[in-house]
Amino acid sequence: MRLYLIVSASPSLCPGDNPQATHLPRAWAPLARPPPHGSRLTADLFSTNPGALKSPVSEQTTTPEDQRSPEDPLTPPPPAASLTPEPHNPGTPPDLFESVAEGPVVVQGGSPKLSSVPLDLPAGGNGGEGKQQEQEEPQGPVEAALSIEGEGEGDVTSSDLIPDPSSNPVPPPALLHDPPNFLGDTDTTEVSLDDGKTKAEGDGGDEFIQITVSDPQKIGDGMSSYMAYKVTTKTNVSYFRKKHWSVMRRFSDFLGLHRKLVEKHLHSGRVIPPAPEKSAIGTTKIKLGSDKNADSGSLDFIERRRAALERYMNRTSTHPTLRADPDFREFVELDAELPRATQTSALSSAGVLRLLNRVGETVNKMTFKMDESDQWFEERTQQIESLDAQLRKLHASMERLVNYRRELALSTAAFAKATAVLSSVEEHSSLSRALHQLSESTERTQTIHHAQADADFYVLSENTKDYIQLISAVKDVFHERVKTFQTWQHAQITLAKKREAKAKAELAGRMDKVQQAQEEVTEWEGKVERSQEEFERISRAIKKEMEQFDVMRVKDFRDMVIKYLEDLMTSQQQIIKVWETFIPEAKAIS
Amino acid sequence: MMDGMEDVLPSETNGTKSGRSDTVDLNDSTLQVDISDALSEREKVKFTVHTKTTLPDYAKPEFSVVRQHEEFIWLHDRFDENEDYAGYIIPPPPPRPDFDASREKLQKLGEGEGSMTKEEFSKMKQELEAEYLATFKKTVAMHEVFLTRLAQHTVFRNDHNFKVFLEYEQDLSVRTKNKKEKVEGLFKSFNKSTDEILLAATQKDVDDYFEREKTFLLEYHMAIKDATTKADKMTQAHKSVADSYIQLSSGLSQLGTIEGPRLEKFINKVADTFEKARKVEGRVSSDEDLKLSDTLRYYVRDGSAAKDLLYRRLRCLANYEQANKNLDRARAKNKDVHAPVDVADAELAQQNACEKFEHISNKAKEELNDLKARRVTAFKKNLIELAELELKHAKAQAQLLKSCLQSLPEE
Repeated sequence: MRLYLIVSASPSLCPGDNPQATHLPRAWAPLARPPPHGSRLTADLFSTNPGALKSPVSEQTTTPEDQRSPEDPLTPPPPAASLTPEPHNPGTPPDLFESVAEGPVVVQGGSPKLSSVPLDLPAGGNGGEGKQQEQEEPQGPVEAALSIEGEGEGDVTSSDLIPDPSSNPVPPPALLHDPPNFLGDTDTTEVSLDDGKTKAEGDGGDEFIQITVSDPQKIGDGMSSYMAYKVTTKTNVSYFRKKHWSVMRRFSDFLGLHRKLVEKHLHSGRVIPPAPEKSAIGTTKIKLGSDKNADSGSLDFIERRRAALERYMNRTSTHPTLRADPDFREFVELDAELPRATQTSALSSAGVLRLLNRVGETVNKMTFKMDESDQWFEERTQQIESLDAQLRKLHASMERLVNYRRELALSTAAFAKATAVLSSVEEHSSLSRALHQLSESTERTQTIHHAQADADFYVLSENTKDYIQLISAVKDVFHERVKTFQTWQHAQITLAKKREAKAKAELAGRMDKVQQAQEEVTEWEGKVERSQEEFERISRAIKKEMEQFDVMRVKDFRDMVIKYLEDLMTSQQQIIKVWETFIPEAKAIS
Repeated sequence: MMDGMEDVLPSETNGTKSGRSDTVDLNDSTLQVDISDALSEREKVKFTVHTKTTLPDYAKPEFSVVRQHEEFIWLHDRFDENEDYAGYIIPPPPPRPDFDASREKLQKLGEGEGSMTKEEFSKMKQELEAEYLATFKKTVAMHEVFLTRLAQHTVFRNDHNFKVFLEYEQDLSVRTKNKKEKVEGLFKSFNKSTDEILLAATQKDVDDYFEREKTFLLEYHMAIKDATTKADKMTQAHKSVADSYIQLSSGLSQLGTIEGPRLEKFINKVADTFEKARKVEGRVSSDEDLKLSDTLRYYVRDGSAAKDLLYRRLRCLANYEQANKNLDRARAKNKDVHAPVDVADAELAQQNACEKFEHISNKAKEELNDLKARRVTAFKKNLIELAELELKHAKAQAQLLKSCLQSLPEE
């Protein structure tokens, strides 16, 4: 909690200020007021440069990643810029955030206020380290900014400075460059501030990470059994310890990861890829069934789930910010069993709470009509809605296709058998032979059809389903924004009331009351400003995120369709071969 | 009633009963029958049977009449009942025109109209109409095949009923059996089948050949019936796959409009490809139906007719043996000269039975061999055509997909 005290958001500080110049004063100014909202503080925390975070962090950091910081090229200021707590910044203790923030770390990056805070704060040790760190990262302008800050920090040295809020990864300079960068999450060293668009993709250059989920195994027996999957990661991203390794994870681990990511990042306006759904029936069947009796139904279910988990992991890892998230990293790297994410269970208290929350949110979504001033959001929201509806329809027709094709495979198999019988009964020998050939050919086409139905399913239908879920994750993010808008509105209303109260008090000449009212007014003014900034920040974050999302979505869709068409084509070619071998047989009937 | 026929029988052994050839050269007389037109009314189909002939028996060289399905059945029944034709395989009657399935689908489509876009709806409607048309064409073809077989059969073509069927300009007033007749008909067939079973169990065939044939036919009949059902299911499933492409295609185009410029072109190309692929798949399905299922189905029916033939023969044999027994009994009873009539009757009966039996046996042998040959040829032809068509369609689809993949602009 110390952190809070030190870093308070001071409305007076303006972003434009030369960070280095005013470090010291700014650093101290905030001390005066206790931050109104704990969360706000954390936001401020973020604004500090990562370097600053280092010291306190290192103490508190539990993740091994911190140690890696020196090598971590990713610790770039940009990430710092990114408000997300995850900053690769080893310095940034995600844990720090978690300990500090109540729940979601509000990433505030952009707000000017934030800038004020950070730089100075780094504890001496931090400062030093921070500096060092910055020096290690020779990245563009932001970098420079950082280093400036670093220096600033150095000056400040404030050993006493609180360890800080520097958790605020966003160096003030970042503020200058504001939007592009912070969501920049680019692990890459790009610091180009304005061209956030392409860089923001973060899939920078030659970064490569690929995750496969395989070997589903049933561990244990009966109701306490569960499915474990092997998660294999291949990557050349530097902040991972190895290039290629595997760990075992169970299904609830995946859900736990998702939940954590949502908690941490949803508020910053990120789209978190949704995790595969729980299915009580499928799971129970698996739990209760024995390995030997695994019928095709449950095998299918396992396969579906495995494929869904793989897609989920890959989508999450493509997102640069999420990829660098310590929880995510721990998930893919930690060799031991992860602590049970008990709260993912539907029946746990947390689960019930979540359910209630969700219900509340749904009602909220339906009732609150936001006054949309931003044209962009207006359009996007509509587009998202219609995309959602259309994708659902498309998905339904895809499922129909899958079903029909499966039926086709089955009936073709039945026909093949009947033809075989016919051929054995037929007396005319060459006709019998031809019929036998026909039976075999049909058998082969049946296999082809079956494989094609699988392709229909896994390539087309499941992917579309994923997209529908992604779209609802997007809707969630949009809703977050609406919520911050609501907060802002509420703050404004309250401010007005407080002002009124103050005016009344003044009129009534009650000096004591006036004093109090004044305090309240100031307090609420601060709140209004902060919530407005929050709103704007999240709006910007979403815009950025959406760009990235769009690009990714388009690419994914194209890939999916192309792959499907290729599969279809292969099937047809195989069918061609089958019939080509049959024709001479048919002609041979004498 | 066909006494005249008996004379005709022996002389016409020129059995060129080739499948679909239009003319059979026989004494310079030709009889060409086809169905030139057909009209589908609510519940009925009216066929216009057109005949071209040089046979002297007919009043005019060329004429047409309108017939309905029931009249075809009537004609078939006349042949079936005729004992003179007992030794022949009577061409199986054409199946009832059945548009129920199509009608049901059309209705379902109408109900679901609200939930689809206009294009989707019109496309599906087109598909259904095409299906309806195809069923219609098939039933016409089957009726035509029936008539053609009769016309080409050396014996049948001269049948009086056949002539009436072809010529009589007015309605044959073949009313569909009323209740009583239907019940009678039911009884008859019931009797027949029990008789068949009884005979099969008790009557030993003197001729090994026929014994074998019988077993073979029975087995074959079952197998081919099974294959036909499965084939039908398969073509149905194929058709459903093709139809589901329609929705996929239209869903995609709608997605394209929402997605906007970035993906629109891409999506539209894909949607278009699906549309074309659907047409090809649809054709695969209908070709399979035509070549495979129909062939199988026809031979189911033909096999059935052959079974009937064998049954008749067996019946005849039973009668013959019965007559023999009677004769023996009569002879035994009538050692004395007083009742030569009985013996004479019995003798006559026996002789008749004997003749009949021999006659049937011979004819049956011919017919069965003929059936075999026909079957082999038909299968060969249709299987080859089936394979070639499947190949053609698969190639077309592969080509279509390939060109689509190539044309998709790389981003």
